[in-house]
Amino acid sequence: MGRYVVRRLGQLVVVVLGATLVLFACLFVFPGDPVGQIAGSDKARDPAVIEQLHKQYGLDKPLVVQYGTYVGKLATGDLGQDYTQGRPVTEILAPKLANTAKLAVVAIVFDVFIGIAAGVIAAMRRYSVWDMTVTFTTTLAIGVPSIVLGMIMQWVFVIQLGWFPLISDGTVRSLILPAFTLAIIDAALVAQIARSTMLEVMGADYVKTAVAKGLPRVTVLFRHIMRNSVIPVVTYVGISFGTLLGGAMITETIFNWDGIGLALVNAIQQNNNPIIVGVVTISVAVFVVLNLIVDLLYAALDPRIRLA
Amino acid sequence: MRGAKSAKWVAGAAIIALAATACGGNDDNADKGKDGGSGKAGGTFRLGITEPVAIDPYNAQESEGILVTDNLFSGLYEPTADGQVVPVLAESKQVSDDGKTWTFKIKAGTKFSNGEVVDAESFIRGWNRVAQKKAASDVAYHMAGIAGFADVQSGKADKMSGLSAPDENTLEVKLSEPDFEFDTKTTHTVFSPVPKVAGDAKNAAYNTAPIGNGPFKMEGKWEHNKKITLVRNDDYGLTKTKLDKVEISILNSQNGTTLEYQGFQSGQFDWARMPTPQLAPAKAKYEPLGEWIAEDTNGMNYLLPITDNGPLKSAKAREAVSYAIDRDAIIKGVFQNMMTKSATILPPVFKDVYTKDLCTSCVKQDKVKAKTLAKEAGLKPGTTIDIGYNTGAGHEEWVQAVAQQLEDVLGVKVKATGKPFAELLADQQKPKATGAYRFAWGADYPTPDNFLFPLLSTASINKDASGKVTGDNRGRYSNKKFDELLAKARGSKDAAARNEIYKEAEKVAMDDVALIPLWNRTQLRLVNTKKFADVKMDFHENPNLAELSLK
Repeated sequence: MGRYVVRRLGQLVVVVLGATLVLFACLFVFPGDPVGQIAGSDKARDPAVIEQLHKQYGLDKPLVVQYGTYVGKLATGDLGQDYTQGRPVTEILAPKLANTAKLAVVAIVFDVFIGIAAGVIAAMRRYSVWDMTVTFTTTLAIGVPSIVLGMIMQWVFVIQLGWFPLISDGTVRSLILPAFTLAIIDAALVAQIARSTMLEVMGADYVKTAVAKGLPRVTVLFRHIMRNSVIPVVTYVGISFGTLLGGAMITETIFNWDGIGLALVNAIQQNNNPIIVGVVTISVAVFVVLNLIVDLLYAALDPRIRLA
Repeated sequence: MRGAKSAKWVAGAAIIALAATACGGNDDNADKGKDGGSGKAGGTFRLGITEPVAIDPYNAQESEGILVTDNLFSGLYEPTADGQVVPVLAESKQVSDDGKTWTFKIKAGTKFSNGEVVDAESFIRGWNRVAQKKAASDVAYHMAGIAGFADVQSGKADKMSGLSAPDENTLEVKLSEPDFEFDTKTTHTVFSPVPKVAGDAKNAAYNTAPIGNGPFKMEGKWEHNKKITLVRNDDYGLTKTKLDKVEISILNSQNGTTLEYQGFQSGQFDWARMPTPQLAPAKAKYEPLGEWIAEDTNGMNYLLPITDNGPLKSAKAREAVSYAIDRDAIIKGVFQNMMTKSATILPPVFKDVYTKDLCTSCVKQDKVKAKTLAKEAGLKPGTTIDIGYNTGAGHEEWVQAVAQQLEDVLGVKVKATGKPFAELLADQQKPKATGAYRFAWGADYPTPDNFLFPLLSTASINKDASGKVTGDNRGRYSNKKFDELLAKARGSKDAAARNEIYKEAEKVAMDDVALIPLWNRTQLRLVNTKKFADVKMDFHENPNLAELSLK
């Protein structure tokens, strides 16, 4: 187990290096000098200023040297400086990462509660109006792009009803709409997974036995059915935590949520390469670590699985 | 501050005279609230902007950054919304006959918000801070005329030799070339004074919470991507502002205008821009309520023809293109009549030089003339004209319309290519660029020179060793007569005579169709007039925070 974790963390280093190398190469051969112009202005930068900035950011050196320097700094946790304000990328991204994490955690909570509740209800009342409602809404939720959903929610709950602030003020209230938007597709998938595994488990012999023994309905539901249905759900939720970043780019843009998804969108627009590489480096690391945790959790939940 | 100044100078000279001698006291009309403007003191004005590049004078450059910097700092002069220049801290100015030495008397007794006195040295300190090489300032070039600037920029010296303070309140500026409009240039925020604590240009502590001498001061520091809060500077040495506070939310650039508009609709902002598709419904709803502002600002939109290469090399070909465009139809169809057609290079707000309908080919589409000229110019049917534009900024529709009109009228083939902004600029700079580009320009300070010199003078082509155009004259227009006229204007002491020369220069460039004028940038805003009075747009298209008031 210990060796397994060490090996997986070793893979993390390789994956991060690989990802940054590919990205670095791509970004730095893109047309357009990243400090050659000011994004959004028709005015040219003074050649003397460009030269000075090139020097400051080490862009006057060959690409290989730049990458070497980047990796060297990365080892010490330094992601370089951004191009628009010359601030350290770590200083810029740290609060954004925290914001995205907040959003993701609340979204996961929504995922689990809404998803499992809907799944359980649908499974328990199979083919009833409840079941059909859940099936219909989850299918719809999966189909509606989050950009559309987000804008509808904003229109209804912010502008028409005024229940939530438009611009995040750091309160829990301003977290609800973006987290819900981010969660909804995953919640729908969780509901569908929960429903089908529940139905499968409900048909299992040990459940029939439990019912035949005359155990109370609630006991059967929680002790026997839910516990055994939860494994695939946990796995799915764990993995989706990593993929939330993709959704976060859209959700954070709509709700002006100052997270790394939005930082990435803006950085791409501005050719702000250090931010782009930084966000991707962090996301890759987070993704790999989360996958590791899911694998460990999976083994813990199901004794039949062994890690080696 | 820029707003404060214009209001004050328009409102009454008496107040200013008092302000000149006072360091706080009898010029204070903010607390009384009722004299001067129509409204009361107090209130919090809320608006959204996108993340500025800088809010410190050393590098503030877009209207967002300037919104903050301008309200934190007061300089020698200010531009008014209608393109005039009014004094702020300057009591008097004197320029030598050769146009190379400027002497400014600075109002005595005003202070920075940390209590430090604002004197001639604080201007010198601020200007040198910007000019230093390490600052890598995008706006330092506005100081290029000051003697010794080149040495500071190249790192050879720390201080510009042209700056001196014969006494505490006298600032003497020696220029390397004659410039009778140097006072106008000092309206730019880059010429602000800074206190001793500013340190060098890369002092992050100061740059995120600048201490200035303006009508407002920072409350806390710049919370990046989140907010900036300004509060009234009660120790301001000039006319105090009425607003208590300005809350500036920082919105993301992807859908900033949408958020501004939604914020206004939901009552969270008092000032907003709108996304283009929302303009018509917004106007219908808010104009009857008196919450709609439309102003022609100094921004101009052009088609930028590449004049040294490709199908638009000849002036006649460019004129043919200009005649072939139906500006009225595009303004009506695409912009829903919310832009104003332009037929000049210079904006109409420069009243002293504005010559209506200078561009005859812009006034009305003329298919016959367009065809004749194209034929004379050898612009054959079937020729391909490239038009480049940047995507995601609402240019797609009108560029397509222009392309269609050119194809219909001239029989040419138009290849309109949209690219991300950075790529478009890189494209324009390439030695082999051809065809035309979407282009716009706004003034840094209210002088024709700020359009004509960067956009059209030979010196502004500034090719580097590889032939890349590094200046702002991307069309590579070059005309000796035009260059001579500009030089003559710069060397003319008399403002009226100078304006005549600018008119002449503009005509030369227009006769050559060096730029193809399209429309004036009409800026549209929503404003909370239920709560606030005297809200106007200033020279930089921002709200005049320093002079607006509560109703």
